[in-house]
Amino acid sequence: MTGELSRQVEAARAGDEDAFRHLYRSLQPGLLRYLTALVGADAEDVASETWLQVARDLPTFTGGEFRAWAVTIARNRAMDHLRRQRRRPALPVPVQELSEMAGDADTAERAGESLGTEAALAMIASLPPREAEAVLLRAVIGLDAETAGRVLGRRAGAVRTAAHRGLRRLALLLDQRGAATTSAGSDDVPTVPTGDARPRQRAGLPPQAEPVDG
Amino acid sequence: MRKLREMLRRSLRADHERLLDTAADARSTRPAPGPADPLADLLRAAAAPARERELAGEEAAVAAFRDAHRPAGAVSATRRRRHRGFTAGAVAWIAGLAATATAGAALAAVGLDRAGPPSPPAVTTSPAAPVPSTSVGTPTGKPAAEPAAAPNAPTAPTPSTARADGPTGDAATVPPSPTPHAPVTPNPEATTQVGPGNSDNTTDRPGLCRAYLAKSERQREKALRTPAFNELVVAAGGAEHVEEYCRGLRAESTANPTTGP
Repeated sequence: MTGELSRQVEAARAGDEDAFRHLYRSLQPGLLRYLTALVGADAEDVASETWLQVARDLPTFTGGEFRAWAVTIARNRAMDHLRRQRRRPALPVPVQELSEMAGDADTAERAGESLGTEAALAMIASLPPREAEAVLLRAVIGLDAETAGRVLGRRAGAVRTAAHRGLRRLALLLDQRGAATTSAGSDDVPTVPTGDARPRQRAGLPPQAEPVDG
Repeated sequence: MRKLREMLRRSLRADHERLLDTAADARSTRPAPGPADPLADLLRAAAAPARERELAGEEAAVAAFRDAHRPAGAVSATRRRRHRGFTAGAVAWIAGLAATATAGAALAAVGLDRAGPPSPPAVTTSPAAPVPSTSVGTPTGKPAAEPAAAPNAPTAPTPSTARADGPTGDAATVPPSPTPHAPVTPNPEATTQVGPGNSDNTTDRPGLCRAYLAKSERQREKALRTPAFNELVVAAGGAEHVEEYCRGLRAESTANPTTGP
């Protein structure tokens, strides 16, 4: 897969539009999901800024991991975005909006699946930022721990630890969720489709919390 | 007892590593048969294949790519903007110096010209004229010394004279220029293009426009509220004029024969 990817990158650098399209299609979904965890509803805008820059700077890309390079651009863009947001009167995305996004997004796709993509992403986004980023870069973008560490400016070991903690937390959330489903009917436990917001609050962290820089 | 716990922890960690490694690769495959693992399901769901709407920005991205990789002359502005760091800074700075230096010469020359035959007005030199961007990119020495290039393309010598001129301290190249007042006009132009302050992509209005036009109605409205598109709003003179402005810009670029692929 990596060989295929670098072949496409080479072709795109030489001006091959189809190759670029291919890169976009293979990276954009993961990028968007990662960015959603960082900047919420503005992820789409940050993603298109990212691709503008990728398209423009591709000739200066000197090799290495293309995905890591692109994700680093995306992350920088997201940080810029959050910084700008902080300067303006803050208008934080309320938790409800995110869970609505999770709810109405792909009900159809979700039917028949135990857990939908949006719900899964919402749960990951509920983790502490470091852990969420580590899990997303590893599992959704598909970077290894070393490469993810380079993107995040941390050591591979630190990324592994963060991802490991994140998964432990997620397993806990899933347990609670499972318990909630089996004992559905009591008042304070949500049923499956609306359960998305609940674990996030239990994790006790705002989904918009800014990732720690460096 | 403590040892056992330690072992369990290690094995859990290894399990997690394996899960993380396989999640992204498992995109195309269905869940492996075996004991249900909710955590693996969650990661698999998070790394599920692309949904249609996630790829909504594809055309905009490809358009930006096309824009950046347009061949030959049309690309020169983009490419020149790409020269960053020391080179861009130095060229801009030296170009500024050259502008100041030649301005004096130009003033003097204008005084002389009054008496002489009418010379072509400097304004008519098209800013698109600065031809081969390679002359900027390659440190080939002193292309300005070539007499052939000078009279026809007065804009071209600007970056190259600056380049040939600055490091060597060979100030003699500038004054004897055949049309000394010509470079004065293009100089500020060159400075704004390569200036270090312009490395940001916000100057890429056609690109922004394409990104904007590729969005759906609902997204457009939202996009205009973001700082990224703020420049478009300003350039168009108001959010309600952006679409018109962008269509105009696009028509302009399609009408221009040099921009074809």
